[in-house]
Amino acid sequence: MNGAGREVAVVGVGFSPVTRAGSPDIRTLTLTAAHDALTDAGLVASDLDAIFEYSFGGARDDSPIAVSAQRLLGVENLTAFNDIMGTGPSGLASAMDAAMAIAAGACETALVYRTITRAAGHTGALREGPARAVGAMQFSAPYGYGGGIILAMAMKKRRRVAELGGSFEDYGQIALNARRWAALNPRAVFRDLITMDDYLASRMVADPLLLFDCDYPVNAACAAILTTADRARDLRQPAVLVDALAYGTGARPDWLYAEDFIFGGTIHCARELWRRSSLTPQDVDVAELYDGFTHITISWLEALGLCGVGEFHDWVEGGTRIGPGGRLPLNTYGGQLAAGRMHGLAFLNEAVLQLRGQCGERQVPDARAAVVANAHGPQCGAMVLRSAQ
Amino acid sequence: MKPTPEPDDVTAFFWRGAAEGTLLVLRCMVCSYLSHPPDVACARCGAVELEPTPVSGYGSVYSFTVVRQAFDPAFLREVPYVVALVELDEQPGLRVLANLVDVALDAVEIGMRVAVAFEDRGDQVVPQFRPSERPAIVS
Repeated sequence: MNGAGREVAVVGVGFSPVTRAGSPDIRTLTLTAAHDALTDAGLVASDLDAIFEYSFGGARDDSPIAVSAQRLLGVENLTAFNDIMGTGPSGLASAMDAAMAIAAGACETALVYRTITRAAGHTGALREGPARAVGAMQFSAPYGYGGGIILAMAMKKRRRVAELGGSFEDYGQIALNARRWAALNPRAVFRDLITMDDYLASRMVADPLLLFDCDYPVNAACAAILTTADRARDLRQPAVLVDALAYGTGARPDWLYAEDFIFGGTIHCARELWRRSSLTPQDVDVAELYDGFTHITISWLEALGLCGVGEFHDWVEGGTRIGPGGRLPLNTYGGQLAAGRMHGLAFLNEAVLQLRGQCGERQVPDARAAVVANAHGPQCGAMVLRSAQ
Repeated sequence: MKPTPEPDDVTAFFWRGAAEGTLLVLRCMVCSYLSHPPDVACARCGAVELEPTPVSGYGSVYSFTVVRQAFDPAFLREVPYVVALVELDEQPGLRVLANLVDVALDAVEIGMRVAVAFEDRGDQVVPQFRPSERPAIVS
């Protein structure tokens, strides 16, 4: 990473099974993904000296804390760890913090994970609100503003089209694209293609936000192993280097009251990312951009300069540009819309697998550079990755 | 039962104002910037010298959504209802979240002129917005 200490590599990726029903134990999910990532890297638990995890935390009980994973894995000591709460850039934040800690010399080899359950992730569910709205909720809950950021995303979708042009069908291109790639990914939960008519006919959640604008909650854990580029050379897999990373928030960070309502912090984050990177947007072979809501993906495409601001409608070429065989393959594992909400970290894992050339049917030919971005609004984060060869 | 706003030290002025039929925001005594929702420092310059100041209550719909699926059982009988961000006339970017009331759902559009309307919910008065004929003041 330019100007950020030691060079860092992602050397292992792992997954638990992804399920749409039941309530698997979050410790088992985490352990399964962690062992999968260690095996992939050719490492064992005792090689770890750091763990970073991302969770909603609190009563949602969606992910075991880092020292729980340490205990379950039998790691003797951690020299760096953190439990990153749900106000950071989703699961990618765990890898970003690990990369910074490794670059700074605070640790050598880190396990990162995001474990999430369907119950914890189902933010659109009907649930009893508070009788009394305290704190920031004083200005939202009395108005029926619920469901996490669902209504903010609905308003951003409407504002974007009004201000920058294009159409609501543009958002459908992200949803259709997710299914095209998911059809090539055995791990995805929705592998059937959908048409634009299917998209437009999906349930209206909060006009103009459709059900197919929203990702799908699953039970899953996703893990990765990061270490120094030096160490990576001796490990099992072709090394994938962290070329740059950046957080971003924008001015007056907030989902509703931010200075930049449409893009949130994505533009600030992207600007800093490219300033630090050895690569440019033109070098990107594959893009893995958060799709918890379709608005987020379009924001990142434009913020990152992969597409001009307000130009997505023409740029996407009816979906061919971002699909299999397209000029900018996007969300090549199906994203959260079609592979399930592994909440951010699966975008990193897919980028790593693409840069290693291990994606089978969905492999992007000669993929050498990838950009990964998570979240939106006040909690943006992004990474540029490149193959070491 | 819809959630009732619970005023605290920082927000009490806002709800007192609403009860008296006045929409109040915080004005920075250093840079004059207007902030909403209430906070302990100016959203632009960070100064902590803030004073409640009345605003006209007129604004334009910045964006909105028609909620079709309730998230809280208290709103099951309200759907479909409009949640909007209203940009107040006093300052670009000064947004207030509320429902739009007394309006046909298909008549709502971005840029629509609205005026504050206070809804008495018994234990608290909450600001809402309704359509208005009054044009924006062009300065």
